[in-house]
Amino acid sequence: MISRRAVLYYQLISLFAVLFSGDVSAHGGVVEEDDLCVIKVNYLRAHFKVYQPSTLGHEQYCEDLPMATESVFVMEYLHDSLSEMPIDFRIIRNVTGKGRFARMEDIDLIDDIDSATVFYRAPVVEPDIYLVNYQFAEEGDFIGIVSARHPATGKVYAAVFPFEVGFTGLGYWPFFIGMLMLIQFQYLLMSGRLKRWLGKEVAVATCVILGLLLSPVSFAENLVVTYTTPDGDPEINKMHDWIVHIENDDGLKVEGAIVDVEGGMPKHNHGLPTKPLITAELGNGDYKLEGMRFHMSGYWEIVVSITTDNGSSKVMIPLQL
Amino acid sequence: MSSELLKLAVLLAAFSLFVSACDRGSSEAPEWTEVEVTILKSLWLESLPDLPDDPSNAVANNAIAAEFGRKLFFDVRLSANGGVSCATCHQVARRFTDGLKKARALGLSDRNTPSIVGSQYSPWQYWDGRRDSQWAQALAPLENAHEHGTNRTQVVDIVFGDADYRMTYEALFGPLQDTAGSDEVELNTAFANIGKSIAAFERTIMPTTSRFDEYVAALVRGGAQREILSADEIAGLRLFINEANCTQCHNGPLLTNHEFHNTGVLNFPGDVPDKARAGGVREVFGSEFNCRSIYSDDSTGFCPELDFARSGIELIGATKTPSLRNLEHTAPFMHKGQLSSIADVLDHYNKAPDAMIGHNEAEPLGLNVTELHQLEAFLATLAAPVSELGVEL
Repeated sequence: MISRRAVLYYQLISLFAVLFSGDVSAHGGVVEEDDLCVIKVNYLRAHFKVYQPSTLGHEQYCEDLPMATESVFVMEYLHDSLSEMPIDFRIIRNVTGKGRFARMEDIDLIDDIDSATVFYRAPVVEPDIYLVNYQFAEEGDFIGIVSARHPATGKVYAAVFPFEVGFTGLGYWPFFIGMLMLIQFQYLLMSGRLKRWLGKEVAVATCVILGLLLSPVSFAENLVVTYTTPDGDPEINKMHDWIVHIENDDGLKVEGAIVDVEGGMPKHNHGLPTKPLITAELGNGDYKLEGMRFHMSGYWEIVVSITTDNGSSKVMIPLQL
Repeated sequence: MSSELLKLAVLLAAFSLFVSACDRGSSEAPEWTEVEVTILKSLWLESLPDLPDDPSNAVANNAIAAEFGRKLFFDVRLSANGGVSCATCHQVARRFTDGLKKARALGLSDRNTPSIVGSQYSPWQYWDGRRDSQWAQALAPLENAHEHGTNRTQVVDIVFGDADYRMTYEALFGPLQDTAGSDEVELNTAFANIGKSIAAFERTIMPTTSRFDEYVAALVRGGAQREILSADEIAGLRLFINEANCTQCHNGPLLTNHEFHNTGVLNFPGDVPDKARAGGVREVFGSEFNCRSIYSDDSTGFCPELDFARSGIELIGATKTPSLRNLEHTAPFMHKGQLSSIADVLDHYNKAPDAMIGHNEAEPLGLNVTELHQLEAFLATLAAPVSELGVEL
């Protein structure tokens, strides 16, 4: 009933994003900023979004795409000069061997980029907004490369963003599993069992290693959302209440937050049949959520948006019914 | 015992009140507020002003030019394959549309064929407003490879080579030269004059009185309006001018504000999303036949529409509000015919999804199925024949 484990996974996604986005952006890539997906072509920025309109309607994606189908890439310029720069757009199969971590240097090492290219649009000055429509023929790992040439200096800026089309491989899972093992390890360490098993020195060393591994990321901003269903497990087509519990990872209960709950079935491209609302704050980090209903079985995602004095964040709760 | 009876009496009274309230809702004439009556009158065809002047077209109101333009409009010789006329896409029987998602003549065009009816009242032509007069618009398809696929020299040659056409042309505009001896300005002037004649014909195409208009007439003049529209149609009309927000854009007697709005319709499969007005406004500024051009007959150079035209990224994905008159023969709908029925269109506005590009200006309506049906029923009351020079087509 309580999917604490799933919540943890989604924390790890954010962790992953924080760990690697800084690196990518420095070279030009796609990052998420305040719920918006932004492509950085050096100092030039644009909102970046991808649609699969013929199959997934108005659903918007940042990088990874669920299906091999018609895909519309949209760049809404945040920097006027992009309106005047010739921009080209290339999609290649990810032959770098670097997977998610491919960068411009890896692209430069590809001997025959044309044979890896599945889509290329020659440089063109596109005022207002840049649009590309490409029909993916197959699922797999791809890399998008956007280049813009500065009209005055002639300098070329590029953004590189590896992405996946369809759920072809293991994706983030090996990373999750690795992290879970680390966390479990840390738990054993904290609880003292490891110390008893291995002795003090090793434990201290492990602590340092773990500290180093985890130091770039602070969990302080991460919120943990769990829920209970007081009337038993959710039934299809039956309206019911949730008690949503929010705390930060120090275990501090989040109170006085503005909480908004949305949800839907990504694969069916529809939302909840109802518009559930938080109707009461019950204290101790608990919020009463009324009007939840699922009108079909399958995979649902419930997104809990939390706004406090410290800012806003969203936690997604996956749910299989 | 007496308290039981009292309870029963109260229940009965409540029930009879409920029944009478329901009865009132279904059969009695709706009471329109003063504000609502004002809105209804504003949508009434009788409120349509006289034809606006077109000072850029000296023959705009010339009957000979209109007749000449009518012949040109249906003349398939004005095409690369001798098979395409304006009426190929602007079919009279379909209220000057073609029943296709995207127009097809010599090739497939980028957008849905808009009706001509009422376009003489719009400062902008095309879904993206890339032309600022009917005559400038009429010239563009002639030279579009996907439409007539011809060019201005060929068009002027056809008029020059047809004794009847040439005589009419010269009566209207003076001597017509052989294109072989024409300079660019002379050629463009002759080409523009042909467009102005077609526009003179198009200006005569008007909507006619619909059941909705009869209803408003009865309401205003005191008649049996109850018999003109059904309860559902009236309920739909009430939604139309109130909760459904339709009149935010579909206002005035032509049910359009002639403006550009992004309503978040998905792209046409295989196409990139349409930038629409953001590109159209750029194009009209550069159009060689726009209001500021030397081919305009207005020597004052007064072009307020161009002078005050809005441009910029907020117009990304914004298309011109179409009239809601004559929807009976104009499906499929939207700028690329993405939505095949009025029910689909209403559903789209009811949901108001995020736009792929730019921002959807519409807000979700949250109407229920009954209300959507009522709106659909009301929109059908706007069906009516169209007319040319007051004669039904």
